Amino acid sequence: MISDQSKSKIPSPIGESVKRIDAGEKITGAALFADDIQFGECLLYARIKRSPHPHARIISIDTSQAETLPGVRVVVTGADYPGYLGLYLQDRHIFCRDTVRYVGDPVAGVAADSAEIAQQALDLIKVEYEPLEAVFDAEYGASPQAPILHPKLADYKVANFILPQPGTNISNHFKIRKGDVDSAWDKCAAIVERKYRIPHIQHVPIEPHTAIAKMEADGRLTLWGSSQSPFAQRNLIAQALGISQSDIRVIAPYVGGGFGSKAGVSMEALAVAIAMKVRGFPVKLLLTREEEFYTAFVRQGLIASFKMGCDAQGKLLAMENTFFWDGGAYTEYGVNITRASGYSSSGPYEVPNVKTDSYCVYTNHPVGGPMRGFGMPEMHAGLEQCIDELAYKVSLDPVELRKLNCLRDGSILVTGSRMHPNGLSECVEKTAQAIEWGVKSVSDDPNKRRGKGLALMWKAPAMPPNAGSSAWVEFTEDAKVNLGVGGQEIGQGTFTAAAQMAAAALGVPYDWVRVATPVDTKYSPYEWQTVASRLTWSMGNAIVNAALDARQQILDLVAQAWQEDPDQLDIRNGVVVSYTSEREIPLKDLVIYGLPKPDDQGWIGGPVIGRGKFMPTYVTGLDPETGQGERAVVHYTTGAQAVEVEVDLQTGRVDVLRVVSAFDVGRAINPDMVRTQVEGGVVQGISSALFESLQLKEGILQNPSFVDYRIATACDTPQQIETIIVEVPQDDGPWGARGVGEHPMVPTIPAIANAIYDAVGIRMQGPPFTAEKVYLAMLEAGVVD
Amino acid sequence: MENASPGLPSFDYIKPDTIADACQFLVVHPGEARPLLGGTDIFVRMRDGHWKDRFLVDLKALPGMQQISYDPQTGLSIGAAVTMNDLIAFKPAQQHYPVLVKAASSVASYPLRNRATIVGNICNASPAADTTGACLLLDGELEVYSGEGTRRQALATFFTAPGETCLKTGEIVTRLILPPPPHALSGIYIKLGRNKASDLAIVGVTAIGYPDTLNPSGFRCRLSLASVSPTPLIVHAVEQYLDSAPWVEANLHQAAQIAMQACTPIDDTRASAEYRRLMVRNLTYQALEQICTELTGCSNQGGYDG
Amino acid sequence: MAEHQIAIKVNGRREQLRVSSNQTLLGLLREQLSLTGTKNGCHAGECGACTVLMNGEPVNSCLVLAVECDGAEIITVEGLAHDQQLSVLQQALIDSGAVQCGFCTPGMLISARALLDRNPHPSDTEIQEALVGNLCRCTGYVRIIEGIKQAARS
Repeated sequence: MISDQSKSKIPSPIGESVKRIDAGEKITGAALFADDIQFGECLLYARIKRSPHPHARIISIDTSQAETLPGVRVVVTGADYPGYLGLYLQDRHIFCRDTVRYVGDPVAGVAADSAEIAQQALDLIKVEYEPLEAVFDAEYGASPQAPILHPKLADYKVANFILPQPGTNISNHFKIRKGDVDSAWDKCAAIVERKYRIPHIQHVPIEPHTAIAKMEADGRLTLWGSSQSPFAQRNLIAQALGISQSDIRVIAPYVGGGFGSKAGVSMEALAVAIAMKVRGFPVKLLLTREEEFYTAFVRQGLIASFKMGCDAQGKLLAMENTFFWDGGAYTEYGVNITRASGYSSSGPYEVPNVKTDSYCVYTNHPVGGPMRGFGMPEMHAGLEQCIDELAYKVSLDPVELRKLNCLRDGSILVTGSRMHPNGLSECVEKTAQAIEWGVKSVSDDPNKRRGKGLALMWKAPAMPPNAGSSAWVEFTEDAKVNLGVGGQEIGQGTFTAAAQMAAAALGVPYDWVRVATPVDTKYSPYEWQTVASRLTWSMGNAIVNAALDARQQILDLVAQAWQEDPDQLDIRNGVVVSYTSEREIPLKDLVIYGLPKPDDQGWIGGPVIGRGKFMPTYVTGLDPETGQGERAVVHYTTGAQAVEVEVDLQTGRVDVLRVVSAFDVGRAINPDMVRTQVEGGVVQGISSALFESLQLKEGILQNPSFVDYRIATACDTPQQIETIIVEVPQDDGPWGARGVGEHPMVPTIPAIANAIYDAVGIRMQGPPFTAEKVYLAMLEAGVVD
Repeated sequence: MENASPGLPSFDYIKPDTIADACQFLVVHPGEARPLLGGTDIFVRMRDGHWKDRFLVDLKALPGMQQISYDPQTGLSIGAAVTMNDLIAFKPAQQHYPVLVKAASSVASYPLRNRATIVGNICNASPAADTTGACLLLDGELEVYSGEGTRRQALATFFTAPGETCLKTGEIVTRLILPPPPHALSGIYIKLGRNKASDLAIVGVTAIGYPDTLNPSGFRCRLSLASVSPTPLIVHAVEQYLDSAPWVEANLHQAAQIAMQACTPIDDTRASAEYRRLMVRNLTYQALEQICTELTGCSNQGGYDG
Repeated sequence: MAEHQIAIKVNGRREQLRVSSNQTLLGLLREQLSLTGTKNGCHAGECGACTVLMNGEPVNSCLVLAVECDGAEIITVEGLAHDQQLSVLQQALIDSGAVQCGFCTPGMLISARALLDRNPHPSDTEIQEALVGNLCRCTGYVRIIEGIKQAARS
């Protein structure tokens, strides 16, 4: 008696490019973002008074005039908020208390009846500053000559894998000492030594940061925000306020782009602090686009020195790296970028001798935070160019040298750990083939030159060793599935992949699954953060565990009712089937009400609710002196990217004609979503390579608007973006899956730089490769006159 | 730090019924009232806090402001409130003033061009303005209304400093007039931005050329440069040179060199003076080469030499 | 500050509204009419998230005063679907995978709608140029362009 329903061939949603679960809401404009939530007439508006100085002592703050402006409800300063904020290192106050450390550092906040009144009130707040000597360069900041920006560094709470150097501006010093680099140089047939300056850039989500906070009548706090990290925000803000995490609730609707800027805590704590002074009123804080540029997280600038050598056959023998990370005014989050770049500092290659010093340095620049790639794009920008140069020096094709050295299953990594099975070699092969590597590209325009460049990459999810995920699964009466997650939909397709995985693990059609949104820390299960390309893998595992838990409850129930072995039962297409008796029962007949006992003698079962968690248990520490350890990270996603460019000899403009990428994603849960992540990452990578830099002069941002911070438009997108999906399963990934959200923008800068070299013979010193930079470099080299 | 406010500051929107009323209002509120056309520039500067006008006086609905017309005798008449897109879509403009249409098409984006006006773009007097070059080279004139009546203002003497014009308080530009263009006119606008489209001009080169039997070279060329001087620049030295020098490759390069020497760019966030100068040279050559090809019917390698 | 009475039609519905001089069309839509589909990304006419149709033409509503809309007809993203049915363009963008975070999507739809109205068979370049004022940070524009081409073919 097998029904049509369970018999009908439904493909498992895993590996299917199903339509996104959130597309319908977004295409009609119905999807709610934080600024769309209606709060009614009692909503107050907040604006922030910010430091105009990059480094100064606050002598006095006079808020009296501002307080009496009609319509102003409250003015708040750091005087009432002594607590510290920080993810890995607690070095930041909610509002500055005695020192301001970057232009834009928050000094006071106003809540008023309208944003206009709040803005007027800012002008009435009088702040007296004593400007202090400032630091605008990371190398200088790390030197003994520089003024100390955080004299209390020794007292800050810090994660045990971060190594601050008290008495200096170095908030983390990560070391690799593997093998013996000093004696390896003599064995090298070729050595390349380069210094690269990678400028600050920014995420630029189209939706600006938004936070609305309210202190309820009972003193509990609610925070609505455009947020990648509702749970981390709950945790860090609670700690800073000295309250229980249970007394702050974070509600996170759809996010209009994050890329890391909406992770951790930035402006959200300001809204909460102000709301605490106007109990009962929601207070909305929006960042203007200018404030986004001035005050939101930035991608840290990097001064990277590389020295690498290989033998005559091209085998890498030694690498010596020094990274000075311009961490900015507060490095509570950025310290981990220092570490991540340290334990990845060989690039995706096996190198027997490595010496790396990666420093996170305080400067009076905007706050460095997590941006797509978390140190990998900045590091690969220089590293992958050096690899090319090394290849040329030993007369080896750059792709051949990479193939020779790239990581394989079992390769010994820069941390002494072993590499897991991976498809990096396959990625290189397929990418080189697809871009027709070796076939010289020629433009039919005599004023243009074409070239090809290739770069590899690797990245591990950078997070604490015990970052966890959890999920729950429950049903409606008609057996539709309600899936609870704590991970956020920031555009990457999390909710869709989550639904696919829950459906597959349960045995129901994909369209039976609803994700319980918005993520709300009051009801949603815990998720560390939506960062690090970790959700498909980590949250996916939790979802699978929750689904299997529910599945087991269902099968045990039916087994009991049918007096059969649960191992002979299955759920297919929403129907429980028995492989022995061929009996069937649809889920809707049992998921809420259970099953009756024979002869109306009672009931068994009840509402099914599955729960699951996932937390990696195997990441070990690394020796603080050598960076060596058993297992530094959970896993690495590897990949290759190649570009074909055309350089205009008249203007220096670089046109990216086509891009090919291959990434080993373990298993593509939704192949088309992998492709769209790659496309978006490639264009963001091109934008970072050709156009973007935050121009900081004496700590003041010179280009705080779309007019002068150029990002790629529809006209800048390449003619062709090809994505090759490689699948070498991750042992503990759901169906073998690994993340890929950040990775597509990691190799783009060096791939383009290598292509420019192929086209016109110029080695660019650092991005952005603006038309001006390329033209003047060509002029200096005599390529044009 | 420039803390642009979240919204527009308070002001009073005034919509006069007649141009006389508009003029009167501006005169009675000197320094605190501003004419409003497309608004695409005004609102940005008000939010920035740079402009603090108490009154914005909307002129768009006044008679004739939205009118665009062409007459073979008198030329193109563009009302002050005519948008960029209106101009671009106007068939006689496409036919007779294609260089202006091309320049207008390069401004920002399609939605912005539905509000931005040609006259507004000119009156902003930005040295980077895209359409000013074409209007200058085509001998554009502004019709200016004031309490004393209507006068004509030649564009050539309109700009006084970056962002400043010779307009006095109470004067209202009602239209831009471009006389009938020279016969067989060839024109080109080359705009260099930092990315492919929607940017401001880092360097803008507007060039026109037409046969002129009175000239030893047989042609007349006019050249205007954007973003390389305090006000939109007409490079008379290039005109004079190409009035007599044969239009061959070597001389076009020389003309480009002259243009480079004539401009006075600055270093700013957008580009360096050095790069701008070199781009003036390279893009002027490109512009002249294209015009030469169109006018002579062949590539400049076999160029016309009198 | 002066206030004004305006008559405006939004998504086919007539409204009589009281607006202050400095209120933008964007503010009117989002705050007075609770039509939050249209977004604020920069308040400077650069990002296009606020794009709506005004008398059939796309404009940056952050740079249009509400009072300037007296007598105008406005269409927002909420007005694109008819009788619960997605428009051809909306369906095409879903099918082509053009929606990621969704924040630029309403503005993109409006610019695309206006493009297809004036040019039913646009080339790739024409599509790119029509969208140059709508910034997207998630998709790289690839699928948006494809979706518009698909819609044009239907």
